[in-house]
Amino acid sequence: MRRLALSLALLLASCGGNDAQDGRAEIYLQRFFGECGAQYGGVTDVARVEGECGIITAMINRFNADNPDVHVDSNVVAWPGYPQLSAQMAALDPPDLVTMHTGVIPDYAAEGLLEPIEPYLAEAGLQPSALTEASRSAVTIGTRLYGLPFDTHGGLFHINTRLFAEAGLMREGRPVLPNSPEEMLAHARQFTERTGKPYIIQSLVGDNAYAARNLYTYLLAQGAAFFPTPRTVRLQTPEAERIVDFFRALTASGTSTRNQDTPAAIGAFVSGEGGIYPTGTWMIGQFEAEANTPGRPLYRGYTVYPYPRLWGAPVSYVSGHAWVVPRRERTPAQRRAIARFFRFIADHNFDWARTGHLPAFQAVVDSPAFRALPHRANIAPIAATGRPLPGGVQRQNAIEGLIGEEVAAAFNGQKSTRQALADAERRVNELLAQTE
Amino acid sequence: MAAEAKGGARRSRLTWVAILLAAFVMLAPLIWTLLLSLKANEALIGDSGAALSPPYTLENYRSILQGNQVFRWLLNSLIVSGGTTLGVLILCSLAGYGFARLEFPFRRTLFIFVLLGLAIPEQAVILPQHQLFADLRLHNSYPGLILPGLAGPFGVFFMTQYFRAIPKELDEAAMLDGASRLTLFRKVLLPLTLPAQATLGVFTFLGTWNSYWWPLISATRSDMYTLTVGLASAQMNYAQTSGLGFLMAQAVFASIPIFIVYILFQKQIVRAMAGTAVK
Repeated sequence: MRRLALSLALLLASCGGNDAQDGRAEIYLQRFFGECGAQYGGVTDVARVEGECGIITAMINRFNADNPDVHVDSNVVAWPGYPQLSAQMAALDPPDLVTMHTGVIPDYAAEGLLEPIEPYLAEAGLQPSALTEASRSAVTIGTRLYGLPFDTHGGLFHINTRLFAEAGLMREGRPVLPNSPEEMLAHARQFTERTGKPYIIQSLVGDNAYAARNLYTYLLAQGAAFFPTPRTVRLQTPEAERIVDFFRALTASGTSTRNQDTPAAIGAFVSGEGGIYPTGTWMIGQFEAEANTPGRPLYRGYTVYPYPRLWGAPVSYVSGHAWVVPRRERTPAQRRAIARFFRFIADHNFDWARTGHLPAFQAVVDSPAFRALPHRANIAPIAATGRPLPGGVQRQNAIEGLIGEEVAAAFNGQKSTRQALADAERRVNELLAQTE
Repeated sequence: MAAEAKGGARRSRLTWVAILLAAFVMLAPLIWTLLLSLKANEALIGDSGAALSPPYTLENYRSILQGNQVFRWLLNSLIVSGGTTLGVLILCSLAGYGFARLEFPFRRTLFIFVLLGLAIPEQAVILPQHQLFADLRLHNSYPGLILPGLAGPFGVFFMTQYFRAIPKELDEAAMLDGASRLTLFRKVLLPLTLPAQATLGVFTFLGTWNSYWWPLISATRSDMYTLTVGLASAQMNYAQTSGLGFLMAQAVFASIPIFIVYILFQKQIVRAMAGTAVK
């Protein structure tokens, strides 16, 4: 028994994970976007690869190849990776660079867990003014920048142009999008009458982000200050009621899908079972692939535009991905390596934009190469019209869940508009009251 | 007599139909998962019902096996599950023997204290546990993944009950023959608890293999991931739409070792489920 226990102890002691250090500056990078080392583990030609996972893998490979005095040790976490990051921070052993959704940055920044990145930008020779308005505001809290924006993503109207043509809603090769709620309802009725299919595919089951995105976009469009302070939400307003009433009427009009979750909604859209599917920039690549495949229902019948202006100004609610630097001790060489990585990310922002996300740098948005990518000229205005939630608002993911759940219940007719907005406001304010 | 026999045959047929129906209901999700895993991702985007018709492919399984670290994760899971199981069996047998057979101060109080552990969920202690392992620098190591699983109040209770069911006359006979406490434990009582050890071992192995939360936050480096965490990290966002086949292949792949354990130890598992393991 003693021998067995000793063997076990030796086995355990010998199996501990550790990493070797050499003369190079080593930075430990942690990211999501999936693991595809088998396919792209040795690829350094970024232009050759496609998709989020492939492009980020090749980019890091390329950085390591171009910078022999630096080694980026890359760790892929299960999406979205925040439980692990929080655990690492609690253990005082966070990574040097982390991918983070911009809406999550305030949660960590408020606790003093992230470094402001202006010194790294200065070392890298990058000006904050080079960023798009949408991406810069998404990482700004107060006057400080807490992450290098990687992209901007937001809601879009993905459109089946074949069905739009059948419904008489195409003009000069472009879909006719509404300019008011009344016009959208009229288009919806015309579409469904002529095609027999829903005008809009809504994922109202288990997709809280969808309903919240609609509400945020059109509240921002109307200039509503629905976060009068970072710790208070105000949703019992005429602006919010207007939006929820409209989507409630649209859903009840028989021109929308009902009771679909995200996979069902995506399936319906690629099967040609509806005119518009409002979802994010991240689906462009997949729908474009369908549009380029002969025999598929979307073949040569797909385009995409920002949410149409229904009230107020043409504004879209956006979020994005960013690279953040958790606070910890680092050597000057590691700090220089992080700055160099930032420069590399900025220089390769076009490559990342091939994923479907909008570039974080204005020069890339304006570049002919980006505009030449499918549909990018249509959605490029979001770089200027995109608005995130106010920078100091914490728990944005949780808030999106609460608001989306209540508002979706109203869209579906399960709750009255007023009740849903009152419940959403109460629940969010209770949550925000717990934040420091 | 004939009518009675006819009625019995009808009841038997109805029983069979009910059993087959229940079996189908139980198996349907597994068959569905398997069929989805054998379809190309692109074929499932528009309609997951495509899983019901050919062509089928092993492409998703090939993608898993081509993963850089999948065999490392498999090895990690085997080491962690095997180490935890071995540790639990040793500790729980010793503790069970102590509580069942030895007289020492505060024995009952201590036993109740151990049982209270059954009422404390893992999440309630995760923060101090994580901090403790951080202070001991045990994260991203096998001891860090194995040690928390060794504190198993259920195992202690289970083995205590089993030891209590063994007649004390055996102890007295062995003592008369000059056996020490340790010899009595090792040579006489421990062999009699093998059915309980097998049951506890199988449940511990399966529970550790499927464990996700602690490995997720303790093993933060990909070379220390267990299979459950590693496969989750390989998924991209919206895997349920654009990578449904791959997602299901991962589920099947992760369950193969569990399936093998079930096949090998199904007698013990069934006995434990039926509540007959403790006499």
